[in-house]
Amino acid sequence: MEDFHMKKLSRIAASVSVAAIAACVSTAVMAANIFVVGGKPDDPFWSRVKMGAEDAGKVAEAQGGSVTWLGPQNYDNLGPDAAELIRQAIDQGADAIVGPDWVPEAMDPAFKAVVDAGIPLVIYNAGGIEAADKLGALNYVGAVDYKSGFAGGEYLGKAGHQNGACVNTLPGAANIEAFCSGFNDGLESTGGKGSVLQLPATAYGNATAVAQAVRAHLLQNPDIDAMFAIGGGDTNATVSGIAQAGKSGQVFVCGMNFDDSILDNIQQGTQACAVDQQGYQQGFFAVSILNNYVNYGVTIPTREILTGPGVVDSSNVELVIEGVKAGAR
Amino acid sequence: MSLGAIAIRPETASVVGLVVVYIFFAAFGGAAFIGAPGWSSWLNIAAEVGIIALPVGLLMISGEFDISVGSIVPAASMTAAIISGHYDWPAYVGILGGLGVGALVGYVNGFLVTRTAIPSLIVTIGTMFVVMGLTLGLAVLIKGSTSVSYVPDPITKSLLGHFINGMFNVSIIWWIAFAVAFYYFLHISPMGNWVFAIGGDRETARNAGIPTRQLTVGLYILSGLAAAFVGIAQLMTYQSAQVAGGQAFIFNSIMCVVIGGVLLTGGAGSVIGIVLGTMTFAVVNQGIFFSGLDSNIGSIIIGALLLAAVLSNDGFRALALRYATKKK
Repeated sequence: MEDFHMKKLSRIAASVSVAAIAACVSTAVMAANIFVVGGKPDDPFWSRVKMGAEDAGKVAEAQGGSVTWLGPQNYDNLGPDAAELIRQAIDQGADAIVGPDWVPEAMDPAFKAVVDAGIPLVIYNAGGIEAADKLGALNYVGAVDYKSGFAGGEYLGKAGHQNGACVNTLPGAANIEAFCSGFNDGLESTGGKGSVLQLPATAYGNATAVAQAVRAHLLQNPDIDAMFAIGGGDTNATVSGIAQAGKSGQVFVCGMNFDDSILDNIQQGTQACAVDQQGYQQGFFAVSILNNYVNYGVTIPTREILTGPGVVDSSNVELVIEGVKAGAR
Repeated sequence: MSLGAIAIRPETASVVGLVVVYIFFAAFGGAAFIGAPGWSSWLNIAAEVGIIALPVGLLMISGEFDISVGSIVPAASMTAAIISGHYDWPAYVGILGGLGVGALVGYVNGFLVTRTAIPSLIVTIGTMFVVMGLTLGLAVLIKGSTSVSYVPDPITKSLLGHFINGMFNVSIIWWIAFAVAFYYFLHISPMGNWVFAIGGDRETARNAGIPTRQLTVGLYILSGLAAAFVGIAQLMTYQSAQVAGGQAFIFNSIMCVVIGGVLLTGGAGSVIGIVLGTMTFAVVNQGIFFSGLDSNIGSIIIGALLLAAVLSNDGFRALALRYATKKK
């Protein structure tokens, strides 16, 4: 694609003036090859982000561009692995890059390399507008993790469940830490208090390990009546752990994201609320912003495009289920 | 039995390890850990990894690895969820479908290991990635999502996903049944000696008339079936199948087996040892949450136990050899 641009430019340069080239470049269709760095494509949440990115990519493809998803094989070495993916995107000649700032220490040098190479960058999903500003990115698209956690803590605290624990199955990842500190601050804003239950990395993705850890923690800390889980699978496991501890109806759970079984649990009352960061929107807007910028030079003056938090509870769960059926959530 | 005879039993080190970690966590964990909540907590963990560790252990005794169990767990879980949850077929069809996936992957593993010169570690890493990719691709293709929920009928739920007393997962009973069956296979039936013989020296075993190929393929099929069984049980328990997950079972099953005294290079080990190793692993894993210690300490203890197990295995083997020579 680079070659194509060069040939086209040199052909034009042979026939028209330099001023005309400048005018041409800014109006001609420039086919954006956009690389999106994200989570594992088999992660339920990230598959929705990927779908959003690919849906926005249909416009990019219609204009001759493309969207390429780069995700790690696992989360064992998240920061360095993601930094490596960012560098791969640069090496593969990306016209624009989308990436989450999960582990700033490991990933920021790679993001700086993107900006230094003159490649337009949008930070999404994690990091907030602060990361975008610090790194020189165009914009930030995403829910602010802290606010998502805060919404969960505030929701449970206001309902009168004020002794909380956040189940952290990925200790060390900045966005997960922010969920938990937001949750604890949200609880504190209503006069409650929070703590963090940290699980070893080997528990990630193993529902039984998460459920048994939650259960043990509840038996050791019988005062806890509010919990927060950082993802859909973890939330289901947490609900099971609470039931096994004999604490159903006494410990209330909010969790990030949702799937069919979570919506079912909210309907049945075994889960209090789900905090949605609307991942589809994150992929969709990040790609869309960059595609329009690369092709037409248009910008979005609103900085920090928030896609969440949106709280799903028994009051709106029916509407959300309709949204799921329609494929919008 | 004399002291020497006890010391050379391959399980002795495993028993000592289990008792030491149990006392350690009982001291920290208090009443909840010693009582039924504590027991059910670590037994639930032990049952799932234990069902997988049994055939993985037998494979290791016969000198082979199986890494692919990590992707068979979610693949079987997803297969059953799609058949019974998405297409609304009866639960037993979904269960058979899930087990079929496990058996098929096991057969492919066994076929590749016995017909090529590729080490089993590499073969099963390869099949693991293939199965992982297929699971993701097919789930997204069929369901358009990476998680599929399924609410099993009461009978299926009570057989595979029920908590007895609200605490003890039925998988514990399944684990006991699996352990008894594997004990019979390895230590009582004549085929058990074949497993040891292959692990000791494959060439000699084949020359002695042991059907080494069929046996290895059979062990891989068992391993695939066991991993698939755990995936299906998780679906019935949590009523939702995720494409990701299950990776933890790879290292965890190997650790249970090695802590249980199975020789990494094959030829030595026992079903009782594997069960004890699994219990030790689970006690550390769950004990840490009852003890109030930092959960990362759990990983350190498991790592140290693994190294201690390998070292003591070597020590016990040397002791056993010396004892055997002295008796003559």
